[in-house]
Amino acid sequence: MVKIQKEDFSIEKMTTEIKALGSHIGAIVSFIGYVRDFDVSENKILLDMHLEHYPGMTEKVLNDIEKKAFSRWDLSAVTIVHRVGVLKSNDPIVAVIVASPHRNNAFDACRFIIDFLKTEAPFWKKESTDSGDYWVDDKKSDLKQKQSWDNQS
Amino acid sequence: MKINILFFASLRELFNSDSMEVTKPENIMSVRELLDFYADNEKGPWLELSKRFSTIRVAVNHSIVDWDTLINEGDEIAFLPPITGG
Repeated sequence: MVKIQKEDFSIEKMTTEIKALGSHIGAIVSFIGYVRDFDVSENKILLDMHLEHYPGMTEKVLNDIEKKAFSRWDLSAVTIVHRVGVLKSNDPIVAVIVASPHRNNAFDACRFIIDFLKTEAPFWKKESTDSGDYWVDDKKSDLKQKQSWDNQS
Repeated sequence: MKINILFFASLRELFNSDSMEVTKPENIMSVRELLDFYADNEKGPWLELSKRFSTIRVAVNHSIVDWDTLINEGDEIAFLPPITGG
């Protein structure tokens, strides 16, 4: 399941909902990404962050990533939630929750999904900082993480 | 042939607009040719977009595609600056 929303989310509620899908689920792994208050490399203090996306394409890309994960591992359920709009330091941005009969598949698939989301899903962050506003640039390290999955397939 | 062009994030600010409906110029077949055509003829933000070419990806109808992808009637063509979700 894929959700794009302005509102905060409850990881506990989503985990409970996924676990309720069945007693065959032996493992749930979740990743939560948060807004950081300080960018060490840029030496800037964050005031707030504006997140925008490409409605229609975002959902399509995330659903495709989810499908890839299901075809690669034995999974029971996946929930991907990503927030848009104005966010502040410490706010949760994204959650990926993966349920599987066994933990290894859940760990691997969760990491796979966030690695692909980072480089393929059309989201953009604009940070307002104490030294001005700027669009965040992509990171080579994110691309490398994603490519490491391509090399394994 | 009508097509719809979308701009996001830094590119929306560059064009001061999130979309434009245009008639595809004759003889222009691919998205790369379209970008080059506007950079040559319209200049302004198109020229700037063309300078950022190495950092930009293009999506046609919600899928990221190669720059030599051919344009069809009614296509939604989106120019995507570096993606930074998560």
